[in-house]
Amino acid sequence: MAFLEVQNAGKIFTSSSGKIYEALRGVNLQIEEGEFVSLIGHSGCGKSTVLNMIAGLGLATSGRVVVDGNTVNAPGPDRMVAFQNHSLLPWLTVRQNIALAVNAVYAKTLSEDERNALVEEHIMMVNLSAAADKKPNQISGGMRQRVGIARALATRPKVLLLDEPFGALDALTRGRLQEQLLKIWEAHRITVVMITHDVEEALLLSDRIVMMSNGPAAQVGEIMTVELPRPRQRMEVINNPNYYRQRNELLYYLNKAKKAKAGKVPATPVTSSVNSSLEKSTLTLGFVALSDCAPLVIAQEKGFFKKHGLDVTLSREPSWKAILQGVLEDRLDAAQMVAGMPLGELLGTYQRTAIPLVSAMTLTRNGNAITLGRKFYDQGVRSREDFKRYLEADRSGKKHTLGMVHPFSMHNLMLRYWLAGANIDPDHDVNLVVIPPPQMVANLQAGNIDGYCTGEPWNARAVHEGLGFVPVTDLDIWAGHPEKILGLKESWAEANPKTHLALIKALIEAGHYCADLAHREEITQLITQKKYVSADPIYGTLGLSGTYDYGFGRTEPVPNFNSFDPTVDNLTEKLWILTQMARWGLVTFPENWQDVLARIYRDDLYRQAASQLGITVPTATYQPLTLPDGMTLDPADPLAYLQQFAIQREINIAAVKLPARLLYVA
Amino acid sequence: MTATSEDKKVLTAPTPLASEKANPLGEFLQKADFILLPLLAIGIFLGLWQFFSAIGKTGQIPGPVQVLTDSWPLISDPFFDHGSNDKGLGWQLIESLKRVAVGYILAAVVGVSMGILLGSFKPFRTAVDPIIQVLRTVPPLAWLPIALAALNQAEPGAIFVIFVTAVWPIMINTAVGVMQTPQDYRNVADVLQLSRTTYFFQILIPSAASYIFTGLRIAVGLAWLAIVAAEMLTGGVGIGFFIWDSYNSSRMSDIIIAVLYVGLVGFALDRLVFYIGKWFVVSE
Repeated sequence: MAFLEVQNAGKIFTSSSGKIYEALRGVNLQIEEGEFVSLIGHSGCGKSTVLNMIAGLGLATSGRVVVDGNTVNAPGPDRMVAFQNHSLLPWLTVRQNIALAVNAVYAKTLSEDERNALVEEHIMMVNLSAAADKKPNQISGGMRQRVGIARALATRPKVLLLDEPFGALDALTRGRLQEQLLKIWEAHRITVVMITHDVEEALLLSDRIVMMSNGPAAQVGEIMTVELPRPRQRMEVINNPNYYRQRNELLYYLNKAKKAKAGKVPATPVTSSVNSSLEKSTLTLGFVALSDCAPLVIAQEKGFFKKHGLDVTLSREPSWKAILQGVLEDRLDAAQMVAGMPLGELLGTYQRTAIPLVSAMTLTRNGNAITLGRKFYDQGVRSREDFKRYLEADRSGKKHTLGMVHPFSMHNLMLRYWLAGANIDPDHDVNLVVIPPPQMVANLQAGNIDGYCTGEPWNARAVHEGLGFVPVTDLDIWAGHPEKILGLKESWAEANPKTHLALIKALIEAGHYCADLAHREEITQLITQKKYVSADPIYGTLGLSGTYDYGFGRTEPVPNFNSFDPTVDNLTEKLWILTQMARWGLVTFPENWQDVLARIYRDDLYRQAASQLGITVPTATYQPLTLPDGMTLDPADPLAYLQQFAIQREINIAAVKLPARLLYVA
Repeated sequence: MTATSEDKKVLTAPTPLASEKANPLGEFLQKADFILLPLLAIGIFLGLWQFFSAIGKTGQIPGPVQVLTDSWPLISDPFFDHGSNDKGLGWQLIESLKRVAVGYILAAVVGVSMGILLGSFKPFRTAVDPIIQVLRTVPPLAWLPIALAALNQAEPGAIFVIFVTAVWPIMINTAVGVMQTPQDYRNVADVLQLSRTTYFFQILIPSAASYIFTGLRIAVGLAWLAIVAAEMLTGGVGIGFFIWDSYNSSRMSDIIIAVLYVGLVGFALDRLVFYIGKWFVVSE
């Protein structure tokens, strides 16, 4: 049991006129001893209610809060609160305010001298000795807040609860106090729960950030682990590439919550309009600004969706994470996803219950490249072996950081595979961070990252601007690998089987249209429009042209850089993804991997749709898969394959119990 | 941690800017305004009064010069004593102030105690509120017959009138002050699990202090209003009766001087309570 647990807590307020307001429903939170956790969310999301529940100032109406094994049923000095407006007593001096708390808590257990010493110690801690005999209205707002924190800490609580401690201060003072609090916390490692709506403050201070959903009946929306090393300093933190990514994720979440609150983002409409044979004809599909969103754009622009009775809105999403989130919360009906996303969701989700996703078809193959910063080229780096030598010779002591787009994406797996192939451990010799594709170039330019693996036009852009070069494309690692897939919730597929088939059919036809090299120029024109990729077509025509610019004068014909063939003939390609995800500890390798793959990758649906279109598809089977480096994955024994790698993480193998199927009656 | 600039900024006394010192004449004029302008107004008022009385438009009211000459004995010696029916204005005022002091202190003690009870216990408040709301609107003089009937003596009757006039604002303000104790302070008390005594003396009373003193200040003005009225009816020594007595003997100049003194004393009492309050009350 965790040190502090909020167990399925709910809070219902009844107003004096008898109106009932449900502020919280089923809030669960586990906080370890010594952890710093922030609660973030819009006003009215119930974050203060959660804090008051922990403090005991307002008890949960259902569920409970347990601190150090004791159920909270009243306020007490073991859970001290530093209030938003400091709540110092204005008629007492700084010293008397702190002494009031110390004397109340330690009246019987400590002698008067010991109590005085405790008061002085905490006045010193917040550096207020000179103001100790002043009254609160004689000192500045920042100093008052420090007294509030000193008073809270002076009682030596088990848990310190901070209610927007710096909300009312000016930006400069706030920054200074945040650093002071950080130092005090790092010295004492007390358990802290802090409410804030300042994203940067939460990132700087917290170990984890709890994002609350909107009220009424607010819940814990997401929990983010802050990936910034401690001890932290503001100036170092803001140069960490994780900082901007996580900041953006938080802002994205808050923004989305705000829109949802204003009623601007309703869940996708449930109605079926013209074509009554479909369960649902109005769809919202998510995509990320990359050249391989082409099948979706073409299906829309060339009328394939319409032909199959679908009225589609394409929603440009800022990151793959947003795509996944959008599908899980029914904001998107379906989306372009990275190939490993359904596997990662099912096998690699630990903080909440996994929601089964299915993918009936592969939308694109290939289309990625690795970009390294210009400085490596200037040092003579041309291949991964050169890169390895460079890293070994580098004495700067600073780890190089490479960006990829999502942990479950092919970019992550390919980049790791490529690095490990040259004996570079992707977790120890370099630092891998998640950055959404459209932000890669800016981060490279800012020096936050030293290279990345992503799709086009984001490599072409760095090459074109002379920021870096492409040592290798994914075709050199594994030509024809599955890249983007059509992903949606299994429950959605079961509720809308006909719509699902119509969607697959439209995308098959769009894929064939894209595959025709004669259409490439038109496709480039269509997808570079503002509402889709919004890029200048000049960027190597996004990898669609058939020739590929590696940078610094090296240009080669790569006709299949983006491939749009949805057909699968070797099922082992999905198994490869699973083995690599297990290799890097991203997921548990399921003993029943065939069941897992068959449950997610619904080749049967693809075949059904293809045959309705009159396309014959060769039967797909599990066959051995050999990559250009000579490694062979034999589906008869994937574990033996996994054990061949010199560099890998600890591999978990277990029988995975698949979630029960929800059966929908149409 | 080292001292931040923020600490220094607040801890050193602010030095006045050079420009503020540069114009001593302007500064003098600004200060002089506070004395000169009121004096000017008083001068104009007295002048007009003298003018209208000289042309005979003020009825029986004498002009200021007349008042001064008529009443010079009263003004020059406030503490003469020619037997119980003829005492200086100083004695009259002291007598009245004594009554006010007794009635007002009684009102303060009862008002503050009742106010705390009213503010702390909702059922009590609900029960008593209608009675208070009705009684507090009764004019002071309406109490006098009841007081005289109940107490059978003029002196305690007058004191009772003072008490009953002054007690309501004190009681109501105290109750509001207690009810308005900020939730933040209550939370602090709850989290620290303060004892009842500590809560009462460290939080409740200081927090309600500004309301209590507002009540006390309103009450002292009302009490002084009531004493003059009460004494007019009860007789004996006191500034109120002095005015009534002077009217009966047609000493208009004495009345005007006495009324002036009543006003000055009332003003002084109000200031006194204000400064005492300022000394006690610390707010954010």
